[in-house]
Formats: sequence, structure tokens, C-alpha cells
Amino acid sequence: MRLLVFTVLSAALMVVDARFTWLQPLRAQLGLIVEPVYWAGSLPVRVWDGATQELSTRSELTVENEKLKAEQLIMQRRLQKLAALTEQNVRLRELLNSAALVDDEVLATELIGIDPNPFTHRILIDKGEKDGVVLGQPVLDARGLMGQVVEVMPYTSRVLLLTDTTHSIPVQVNRNGLRAIASGTGNPERLELRHVADTADIKEGDLLVSSGMGQRFPAGYPVAIVSEVIHDSGQPFAIVRAVPTASLNRSRYMLLVFTDPRTAEQRATESAQAQEALDREILQQAQPAKNAPAAPAYPPEAAQ
Amino acid sequence: MAVRANNTWVIWLTFALALLLSVSSMPKFMELGRPLWLGLFLTYWVLALPHRVGMTTAWCIGLLADVLNGSLLGQNALILTLITFLVLTLHQRLRMFPMWQQSTVLLVVFGLAQLVQLWLNALTGSRPPTLAFVLPALVSALLWPWVCMLLRGLHRRLGVN
Repeated sequence: MRLLVFTVLSAALMVVDARFTWLQPLRAQLGLIVEPVYWAGSLPVRVWDGATQELSTRSELTVENEKLKAEQLIMQRRLQKLAALTEQNVRLRELLNSAALVDDEVLATELIGIDPNPFTHRILIDKGEKDGVVLGQPVLDARGLMGQVVEVMPYTSRVLLLTDTTHSIPVQVNRNGLRAIASGTGNPERLELRHVADTADIKEGDLLVSSGMGQRFPAGYPVAIVSEVIHDSGQPFAIVRAVPTASLNRSRYMLLVFTDPRTAEQRATESAQAQEALDREILQQAQPAKNAPAAPAYPPEAAQ
Repeated sequence: MAVRANNTWVIWLTFALALLLSVSSMPKFMELGRPLWLGLFLTYWVLALPHRVGMTTAWCIGLLADVLNGSLLGQNALILTLITFLVLTLHQRLRMFPMWQQSTVLLVVFGLAQLVQLWLNALTGSRPPTLAFVLPALVSALLWPWVCMLLRGLHRRLGVN
């Protein structure tokens, strides 16, 4: 009898939880217990990590230090180039009258737990509602996109990784702009492109970047590198496999991306207004000296 | 007070430990066979103190597990209630059995629980692969004698009743 009551109760709860949003606040509040439990649960691992760090010898540290310095140098060089490129990009975009954001705002976050179910790829991060995290927010690491926030609790949130079987992301081949959808396979080292025509121009080594379609992920972040393209005449589509660029099962620190909340239309209007104001300014400057050639003027805040 | 100490807090402490174990980080290859800690601990207390720990307790703990795992609210609750129900039904016989026989029966019980888990997961869309889902049941059944002895020691030493 009691079994029946509890079974019905559980079933009802599950249906309500899956179909409606009434239970969200309750869940969020119950989520408060999640962080301490995961913290305690990962204690052995962290104690071990701390111990190995304490016990690592001086020579090891020196080697690591040198490696990091070399890496930093390489990064610095890239950064120098990047500054110039960003500036150029901003100017070109101005010429095109588009004000798409070149740089998004980010918030650093740390991994605090992994979903105990090995068949789902979800992780827990240490930022939540109180830090401004919202549902569907993209998460990246140093090398590429990792996934999106699927559950927000007061101080923590759950992130669904790209490789989960229930996850798909719209991508683009960086080389030629070919669009596709990359779906998770349940294998942390593999994504699959669905419904790619057999004749499509896609080959091994192609970089896939997020295309920004679907309005969920910002465009232009690296997602995966194509590892295999199989043309099977018995199949209606080519089988394309790719390896995610982000280290989905190794990254400890991640970035939460805050994309521009304005819609494309708002952005266009605002950029048009800015352009108009700029034109007027140039015109006013040009009026006193009519014969002086109009210098190409860029707004000072453009080069951020 | 000291004469009739019933130390119920020990039960809750062990359940807290089981919850912790069920989400603690493990090496990747061991994750597939993560034992059903909650099921194991619950089974012991249901067998030992059926008047204290029953389906209501199981359901509440299951809800907590759901929040921790981020699964649908009610999923683990249902499964733990089911395990408790089966153990309660077999209660009289199970207590008479030698250890290895208990393990065998529990293998079937946990296997059934995992099967229900699989169905529920399939309903919510995450495609679960192969026969790997029976592995946790197997590991749990193999762990049962040790868990049982450990908890029995705790039970006797602290006089929980």
C-alpha cells in the first residue's frame, strides 16, 4: 500500500519536474546542500593533489616553471598579434556598419564536481544565481567551448558538456563556412556531425567553430577538429567525427561567457545611430576648412 | 536516558556518509561500477531495524539523492522505495540466509532497481548503452558482506535500536 502511494508520488513529481517549471524554486533552494556535499566528496582527491604538490621536488618545480615561462612567451607573441588584429577587425566592422561584439565579457569559475552517473556528461561549477549565471549560458575553457548551463542553483550551477548524448551545437567549418550540427556521442573525445551531405567540402583537420545560430552560443569560438570523414556509399550521409578542442574531462578552470543581451535589431539601430552622430561630427569639423581632405576618423573607444 | 539510548543519529550519519560516497569523485574506469551505496546502507538498516527505517525514510533520502545528482525529482526516490519494499517483503527469509545467499538475493534486487533506473533514464532521453548498467548491482552485491559487517559492528557497539 505504502509502495503504491510513494510510487504514484514519485511518478507525479517526475512528470511535474520534467514538464513544468513549478518545482524550479524548490530545486534551487534544495541545491544549497549540493556544494558542501560535493566539496566533502572531492576532499580525498584534493588532499592528494595538495600532498603531491607539497612533496614535488625543487627540480620538478624548476622544470615546470621553465615550461610555463616558455608557454607564456608564446602566448605573449600571439597576444601582440591579436591586439593588432582586433583593432583591424573593429575598423573593418565599422566600415561594414555592424557592431557585433568582438570581445564578450567573461567570468572565471572552478569545477567542483562531476556527475556521478558515467553515462551523462555534466559537471558542477562554483558560480550560481548570485553571480549572475543564467540558464543556457555558454561555458568555455582555454581551448574552446565546453557546454552550457542547464541548472542554476544559488551558489552553484550544472553544466551540460558538448559530448553528452542529449547535446547538439550548431557549428561552421572555419575554412569555408559550411554549416553543420555537432552532436554529442557520450564519448568525451568525440562529436559527430549529423546529416552532412556526402559531397560536402569537409576534410580531416578542419576546425569547427560555433556558428552562433540557435542564439545560444556566441559565434566564432572553436568547438572541435574533424578527425575522420567516412564516405560510405550505403549510407545517405557522410559520417564525420570530430574531437572537441576543449579538454572536457581535464579542465579545472572555466569561463562563463556573458553575451550581449541586445537583439540583432537593437544592435543595428544603435550602431546606425552612433554612425550618424559620427558623420555629423565629421561634417562639423569639415565645415570650417572646406578644402581640407576629410581624415578617416575613428571613434577613440573603438580600439578597446 | 543513558539506560535507553537509541542513538538514532548513527543511522542518519551513515546515510549522510552514503550520500557523500554516492557523489564522491572516482577514477574514470571505476565510475561504471559505482556501488549503490544508498541501497546498501538502506538495506542493512531495513533488515536490522525495520521499525525505524522504512519506505518513508527511503523516499526522503531518495529525494536528496535526486537533488545531488541533478536527476528528475523522484527518480532515485522511487528506486530506493522499491529496494526497501523488496527487502521488507523478503525480510523474514533474508535474515535467516547465510551471507553469500543474501548477496545473491540482493544482486537480483539491485539488478531490478538498476533496470527501473535504466527505463526512467531512457524515458528522459539519455541513451544508456549496453549491459553495463548491471555492473553497479554486481559490485554492490559483492560489497554487501563487508558493508553488513561494518554496519553491524557500529550497530552493536553504539547500541542503536
